[in-house]
Amino acid sequence: MAIDDPDASRVRVDNVGKQYTGSQGPVQALEDVSFEVEPGEFVCLVGPSGSGKTTLFRVVAGLESPTSGTVSLNGTPVTEPNADMGIVFQEYHLFPWRTVHGNIAFGLEQAAMPADERERRVQHLVDLVGLDGFEESYPKDLSGGMKQRVGLARALAVDPALLLMDEPFGAVDAQTKEMLQTELLEIWEQTGKTVLFVTHDIEEAVKLADRVVVMAKDPGRIRDVVEIDLPRPRSRTDEAFGEYYERVLELVRA
Amino acid sequence: MATDVRQEVERSESGEQGVGFPLTDIDLRRLLFGIGGIAAFVGLWWVVSLFQPAYILPSPVVVAETFAAEAASGEMTTALGQSVRHWLPGAVIGTGLGIAVGIALAWSPLVDDISSPVVRVLRPVPPLALIGFAIAWFGINHAGAAFIIAVGAFWINFYATYGGVEGVSEELLDVARSLGVQGDLQQIRSVVVPAASPEIMTGIRTGIGRSWMLVVAAEIFGVPGIGREILRASNNLQVDVVITYILVLSIMFLIVDTAFRAAQRRVLAWR
Ligand SMILES: Nc1ncnc2c1ncn2[C@@H]1O[C@H](COP(=O)(O)OP(=O)(O)OP(=O)(O)O)[C@@H](O)[C@H]1O
Ligand SMILES: [Mg+2]
Repeated sequence: MAIDDPDASRVRVDNVGKQYTGSQGPVQALEDVSFEVEPGEFVCLVGPSGSGKTTLFRVVAGLESPTSGTVSLNGTPVTEPNADMGIVFQEYHLFPWRTVHGNIAFGLEQAAMPADERERRVQHLVDLVGLDGFEESYPKDLSGGMKQRVGLARALAVDPALLLMDEPFGAVDAQTKEMLQTELLEIWEQTGKTVLFVTHDIEEAVKLADRVVVMAKDPGRIRDVVEIDLPRPRSRTDEAFGEYYERVLELVRA
Repeated sequence: MATDVRQEVERSESGEQGVGFPLTDIDLRRLLFGIGGIAAFVGLWWVVSLFQPAYILPSPVVVAETFAAEAASGEMTTALGQSVRHWLPGAVIGTGLGIAVGIALAWSPLVDDISSPVVRVLRPVPPLALIGFAIAWFGINHAGAAFIIAVGAFWINFYATYGGVEGVSEELLDVARSLGVQGDLQQIRSVVVPAASPEIMTGIRTGIGRSWMLVVAAEIFGVPGIGREILRASNNLQVDVVITYILVLSIMFLIVDTAFRAAQRRVLAWR
């Protein structure tokens, strides 16, 4: 699962603006947003509710087109969702009619991968996210944490250049959340994926990210970018961790 | 059009509720109550029939005898075979077209905008009102009767499918596209149809029920089959024969519906 071409995953967001027509007139969900995510980098996006995090996630994923500006992945403009990005939602959005195995295999079937190779790959991913023994379970029978493991494995299956996640651990309990964070970091270190991770949990951002992009609202824009220069695994009881936390918190509240 | 469709689907669903025979449920209580209910119904029928002449209401015993006689003479199998020859193609074609058109309209706003006025004009036309067309286009034959049945099955499946497809979550389609699904056909095949399959299956099942009812209507103008036997017996005041063939219809419906329910449960095991 190592990436072949480490340059294939640089994200460029260039002067992106996005206007929605809400019920009370136009809403500037994003204004003049520019940043880059380096290949292999883990970037977290935090900000108050309504600061445009989800909007930015959707624009980068190609699910929504910006009103102005451009997004590119390794130099290629992003205009629609494609297999270069794996997306993971807070609400999982698994295919309920498919088993764990079937969900993970979905993207591989689209890519017409030979059956035996596909089997090996699915099994590898099942192992990677720790779902052995649940291959034939349907989503309805899984806990939230397990569902999100499937969501992650499904996104990773097609070996996307970029992993995009919108509050992926927002719907699971605190303990499961910690476990999933640790597992995600392990997977990230193993695969070297570029990750853009939206969260409103500042602690989560400081724990995971190489850099934290802090957004502000009305209009949605980037307030500041904080580089987290701490070795992993990080402990929140660490003094330096606390300092970063305070700094990001202040920026979010400002 | 959206709300129309929801109401339509709900109506068609609720209209058919409670017809499910509890045989397939491994629930002894329900089974016993069901058998008890049937016994009570037949008992009541029998008691009432004691005070009525046979041309008003024959007793269950007489009907059972007639049933046996009709079955033994081969009349019943012949009539049933005739009915199946238009019921089956009518139900299959109507169901298939209903699902296909339902998907097309619900999936494409353009197709929907173009077709929606036509749909609204055609919708209130009862299948029976089309008998004239059936005769003119197909003649008094199996094809004509199949046409009537197909029209009935079409609308039920159309509305059920339309509602189901409309309810498919955008996010599932987003995910699918990010996993390499491209183009309308692929999206329909890999996401829309499976996601809407519960509603589609409900439509098929409701449509099967309706199409058995339409068998009688479709045979009014002279196509042979069970409906024809019922109409003929009615004219001769042979109430026992009428009830016999009504029972045949019920039994056929029950068999097909039970089989379909079992299939439905297997296909929708993920729910
Ligand atoms: N489809 C839409 N139509 C109209 N307005 C929208 C739409 N989507 C988002 N908005 C508006 O854009 C702004 C940014 O919303 P967005 O969902 O991106 O914020 P967020 O940072 O993800 O918030 P949260 O933390 O609550 O998830 C909000 O004011 C929101 O109301
Ligand atoms: Mg959001």
